[in-house]
Amino acid sequence: MPSPEPDDLKRLAERIDEAERKHAQRKNPPPPTSLGIAFRFATEMVSALVVGGGLGWGIDWAFDHWSHLQTRPWGMVVMFVLGAAAGIRNVMAAAKELNAEMAAKDVEK
Amino acid sequence: MAMSPMEQFEVRPIVPLHIGSYDVSFTNQALFMCIVVAAVSLFLTLAVSRGRLVPTRAQSMAEISYEFVANMIKSTTGDDGMVFFPFVFAIFMFVLFSNFMGLIPGAFTVTSQIAVTFALAAVVILTVVVVGFIRHGFGFLKLFVPKAPFLLLLLLVPIEIISFLTRLVSLSVRLFANMLAGHTMLQVFASFVVALGAAGGILSVLSITPMFMIVFIGALEMLVAFLQAYVFAILTCIYLNEALHLHEHH
Repeated sequence: MPSPEPDDLKRLAERIDEAERKHAQRKNPPPPTSLGIAFRFATEMVSALVVGGGLGWGIDWAFDHWSHLQTRPWGMVVMFVLGAAAGIRNVMAAAKELNAEMAAKDVEK
Repeated sequence: MAMSPMEQFEVRPIVPLHIGSYDVSFTNQALFMCIVVAAVSLFLTLAVSRGRLVPTRAQSMAEISYEFVANMIKSTTGDDGMVFFPFVFAIFMFVLFSNFMGLIPGAFTVTSQIAVTFALAAVVILTVVVVGFIRHGFGFLKLFVPKAPFLLLLLLVPIEIISFLTRLVSLSVRLFANMLAGHTMLQVFASFVVALGAAGGILSVLSITPMFMIVFIGALEMLVAFLQAYVFAILTCIYLNEALHLHEHH
């Protein structure tokens, strides 16, 4: 095998540099689609409600089971409302995050 | 042939097995989980078994996946998060391979079962809690106490706790629902092809249109398969970062 020419090596180095630059630009994942965003907000909200309601139900069940206090249905009512609050908080945090992401993308352009 | 679109998600026992009153049968789901784990291990060990300076195609695929996850962890948690590289990498590869393997016609999609995704999410959240307590002791509980007057805290602390537990649900549901929806959609369009083809006359000719749709949805599903693995892994990193560096949370 003949030894490579210095010029060839230089050209190869340039091509590698260029490829690396292109690769670095492309590394960010594609921006979320509108459907993806909507789906994300929906899951955030619904899962907070599920967790809140579930916790409340569990609390009521525990009181019913292991003590003589009758909390039903107040544990679930209170926790469901708190779950709704947590859900709204999560959606707002997600929206803030997305806004920042999109603002950063706009600056890049 | 034209079955219910949900039939593909049915878990069937292959080797029935009962311990006490528990059903621990070896199911098609368990089989495909084994296949996924075997495929990941085989791919990674074979690809790098002869480490070359100029990598072969398989070797560079293994290297790219390593670098991808390593960069993800470094950019979200900093260098001290690299301790969790094996954990995040294992989760990423498992989800990625399950998603892609599910796209093979006739294969079972492991990640379309809420039991699997919920278990994965539970492992992630449990790790976050354990790491948080090891790193910060009871100081980890500060995560649930925002800066606010004391009376408001009575309301805010439960909200923060619910909001933390929400991750368990949203992490698992996001992956599960995406997989379920995509595969159902594919099956529905596929059944259109069969139904139109059997209808005869001009309708048979029209059966080519849902076929094109399947091609597009199939391409979209490839993107979703990768994207959901990525989302799962990066959220794991973000949650780990919170456990490692409490102060950044507000």
